[in-house]
Amino acid sequence: MHLGLLSRFVLILAASGWIVSVVNLMHLAERSGWMIPVVDDLPSLLVSTLLVIIAGLTPVAVRMVIQSARPGEAQTPGKKRKPVSVGKALYNGLSSIQLTIMLLAGSVILVFFGTLDQVHYGIYHAQNKYFAHAFVVWEYPQQFIWGERLSWFHLTMPGGYLLGPLLVANLSVAHFRYFRPSWKKVGIPLIHGGIVLLLLGQLWTQVKQVDYFMWLGEGESSNFVEAFHYDEFVIIDKGDSERDRVYSWDVAALENANGVISHEELPFVIDVVWFAKNAAIFPRSAARTEYGTMPFDRGLGAERDYVVLAMPPTYAEGERNVTSAIIRLSGEEGRIGTWLVSNIFRQTLPLREFFPVQSFEYQGREYEVAIRFKRAYLPAELELIEFRHDRYPGTDIPHNFSSEMRIHNPETGTSRNTLIYMNHPLRFGGLTFYQASFADEDTKSMLQVVSNPARWVPYISSLIISLGLTLQFVISLFVHARRRKTS
Amino acid sequence: MKDFNRAQKITAGILILVCFLLFARSWMPESPVGEVGFAAFSELPVQEGGRLKPIDTVARTSKLIISGRQRFIDEDGNRYGANEWFMRLLLDPGAAADDRVFRIDHPDVVGLLGEHNEERRFFSLRELSRHFDTIRGEFEQINPEPALRSSYENALANLQKAIVVYDNLAYNLVPPPLFGGPTETYSIIQRALRDAADMEEGSDSRRTVDNALRLFENQFQRLSGNLSLQPIPPGGPNGFDEWHNLGVSLQRSLQNGEIDPIVLAFGRLSKAYRQQDAGAADAELAILNRLYSERADAHQVRKVPFERSFNHLSPFIYSMFVYMLAFLVAALSWLFWGRSLALMALWIMAIGFAVHTFGMGARIYIQERPPVTNLYSSAIFVGWGAVLLCLFIEKRFLNGIAAAAASLLGFASLIVAHYLSYSGDTLEMMQAVLDSNFWLATHVPTVTIGYSAAFLAGFLGIVYILRDRLFGGLPKEMGRGIESMVYGVTCFALLFSFIGTVLGGIWADQSWGRFWGWDPKENGALMIVLWCALILHARWGKVVGPTGIMQMAITGNIITAWSWFGTNMLGVGLHSYGFMDSAFFWLMAFIVSQLLVISIGWVIPQRRRSLES
Repeated sequence: MHLGLLSRFVLILAASGWIVSVVNLMHLAERSGWMIPVVDDLPSLLVSTLLVIIAGLTPVAVRMVIQSARPGEAQTPGKKRKPVSVGKALYNGLSSIQLTIMLLAGSVILVFFGTLDQVHYGIYHAQNKYFAHAFVVWEYPQQFIWGERLSWFHLTMPGGYLLGPLLVANLSVAHFRYFRPSWKKVGIPLIHGGIVLLLLGQLWTQVKQVDYFMWLGEGESSNFVEAFHYDEFVIIDKGDSERDRVYSWDVAALENANGVISHEELPFVIDVVWFAKNAAIFPRSAARTEYGTMPFDRGLGAERDYVVLAMPPTYAEGERNVTSAIIRLSGEEGRIGTWLVSNIFRQTLPLREFFPVQSFEYQGREYEVAIRFKRAYLPAELELIEFRHDRYPGTDIPHNFSSEMRIHNPETGTSRNTLIYMNHPLRFGGLTFYQASFADEDTKSMLQVVSNPARWVPYISSLIISLGLTLQFVISLFVHARRRKTS
Repeated sequence: MKDFNRAQKITAGILILVCFLLFARSWMPESPVGEVGFAAFSELPVQEGGRLKPIDTVARTSKLIISGRQRFIDEDGNRYGANEWFMRLLLDPGAAADDRVFRIDHPDVVGLLGEHNEERRFFSLRELSRHFDTIRGEFEQINPEPALRSSYENALANLQKAIVVYDNLAYNLVPPPLFGGPTETYSIIQRALRDAADMEEGSDSRRTVDNALRLFENQFQRLSGNLSLQPIPPGGPNGFDEWHNLGVSLQRSLQNGEIDPIVLAFGRLSKAYRQQDAGAADAELAILNRLYSERADAHQVRKVPFERSFNHLSPFIYSMFVYMLAFLVAALSWLFWGRSLALMALWIMAIGFAVHTFGMGARIYIQERPPVTNLYSSAIFVGWGAVLLCLFIEKRFLNGIAAAAASLLGFASLIVAHYLSYSGDTLEMMQAVLDSNFWLATHVPTVTIGYSAAFLAGFLGIVYILRDRLFGGLPKEMGRGIESMVYGVTCFALLFSFIGTVLGGIWADQSWGRFWGWDPKENGALMIVLWCALILHARWGKVVGPTGIMQMAITGNIITAWSWFGTNMLGVGLHSYGFMDSAFFWLMAFIVSQLLVISIGWVIPQRRRSLES
């Protein structure tokens, strides 16, 4: 393979490594999490813009380096080097096929390490780390062969948020630079346009898609779904009317609150005494060591004499962080009390301990306080009528899972039945409900619920790309056959 | 054919004869027919793993799990088929306990059995049974996480699995010896049942008989939990409405007073077998055949005899040998008789392909599923797709290149399939989420054809580099030919991988709610798509020369092998040292071999023979 190309590729890797280390030195990455030195959000945008420029200039720079190293070639008579403007160099670099090749190679490498790291971080986190960042640092895992000796080895590579924009830029600019309309190439703009659309759609999905779930026992019903990865902090005003008023904050609000959060309609303010993304909560009686007194004086934490400790966040597949906080409420009349709130204080999940709701009274009204899995409310109530788990005769190999559901529409007062089973989800209220799991001897069913406004994009774009690829393939077969005939 | 000279015609004739003889070999009986007609026995239907199949299939798959091979070779070196051993195991478990069928490779496990003989790898149940407590004790101490086990622990786990498989097979047709053989046991039960019916309720003698029956009841209940086969069809005196096992049937018999005639017939067959009374055994088999045809749903069991013939024919093994032959002939065509030998290679490949296609068709017919349902069938399909592509390419170029690459690939993928079949029944039932013939018929074959094409491009690259650098240089014309083949095949690979991946995305969106989930298998397919796109762009941009393109195509082999197998090892394997299991080892060996060929392209300069010719 072309060694010059290879060296340029290495140069890009090196450049990205350099940028990551600079950004790390400037402590810009601190927000991104405790263990992954990756650029996040706004800085990543800045850096990727920077990298666009660097990548555009690299081929020019390398050519200059090569030429200065071989002065004989550079000074061939009649071939005087024209001065290249920065804009022109950027245009040339961005539209070059060398850049395409590097970006494709970079994508292959990124996807490979992104897959490899799923073993340690689980799919959700690995996806976030590799594809939703501008740079990634892969660390040689301890568990691999010679892990102890090789764990110093770190590989920096451009991430999804860098490769994606560059690919889009490369495709668009190259299109303007090279493309001449002709019937023989009619598939090419289709393919490239489709890829741009696909990448944009993936970005849209990455930003907007939320995964929820819903556990129902047979005969139970619910009008909300809960998020897999997000938590919310809520104060619920039980009020005097039939409906509750729910005041909800993303838990990030607790983390970044500078101590106090409030809402104009609430008669009290909330002091965040302590917050942890992941925590261990256990009764003091079960603890082996001595722990100091805990600051909470009301609710479950006080009644059951819990001890709470911050833990490093987990990224394992299927595990969820125990997001917890200690909050103090104070009204006009002074302190109301201090509570421990945590997303494991749940009332619904099967095979888990049952916790009561934490509620209190203030100025004659009843309130509830909690950290819980972020909820989305449905325009209707869903009831599980029956869950079925069929097996092949004489075996435990599952043959089918299905949930017979009933949808109660409160506004019209009507209801209808529907069946959710493998490969046949229910689409309802902008959400899609999939049969996902079951528990308690086939009496409880879990539905995975997905909200993704961009779900149609990959359909359209892959249709366009497939059309383009097929056209191009058929055309070249045709041309090839004709050339054979004439030769 | 018309252009062939005399010697070439003779060679062609010999080659076709060889193909025919190889085929005839599959039709020959596996071993000398014994005293008892085991062919009729192996054709009886049983239910196992959720589907009805001939006893023959169970015999072969369980022999593979226990011994790592189908054939049984006794201490004197006599060779028997899996069925003969299996018949002994089912009809005369006591005698079968002396058959050395348990394969143990790990020297420490052999040491555990008190044996020091490094030469011996096969042990009988009776030999093992003396050390059951030791084996169980050691087994309980091994790491519960399969990925973290040492090779010794893996060997122990395999042995334990083999013992369980064996244990769950032995007493499926006749109960363990309670009172002598099965016929004696049955007659005692029948007498007890008759006596109980005659005796007065509450009398002392009645209580004695009831106690005896309760003992039987306990035995059969325990038995019914340990049986892996359901050989008894619905209906009969016990009135079951589905296929069931011996323990359940006998339990029900104790309640309603009548033993199922099929159970009784198996008892008598076992007796005849133990006495080596061929006449009596054939008579019992005839009775069994009649009973089965009366009681089993004819529609359900209609494919059982066909499956037995399919097993016996082993079309994939045959194709494997024929592809090897095609490869040799194609390689020879580069030395002499160019086009003529290439044509012969093409024909031989076509014969192998026809049988290969028949085998796939047979699996589709038996399973009523699209061709690819598991890793085993994907291996079969990858080879098939590559050979199919090459039949067209070779016909166009007729220079032995495509035939060599494809028959090598066909051979290799069938070998891989053969080793994958050691894990059990290859026609297993589909897990619920995969139970969708539409997507199995569209997404899976498309992606798999994409694998075929990517591998084909890589194998063509290997042929290019090796011939050019090691075997005397490539003629210019041939080099150009390979370049355009690789280009065309890569385009094809890109098209199919992409469409297959998209179809997979649609399936995932339909069943899990996301089009793309960065799941290892999806990522693998994406890597193939990206790599093919990279090769094509490198060619269009003239960024690399022909050798570079070939090296990239060979790198494609590594990427495809990773997508195909590497991603499957991720979940279990990559955690630890335990991942050095054999599959991982072979994957690494393959990758190293590919890197070697790539570096040959760098190290050894291009020969310029092309200029001379």
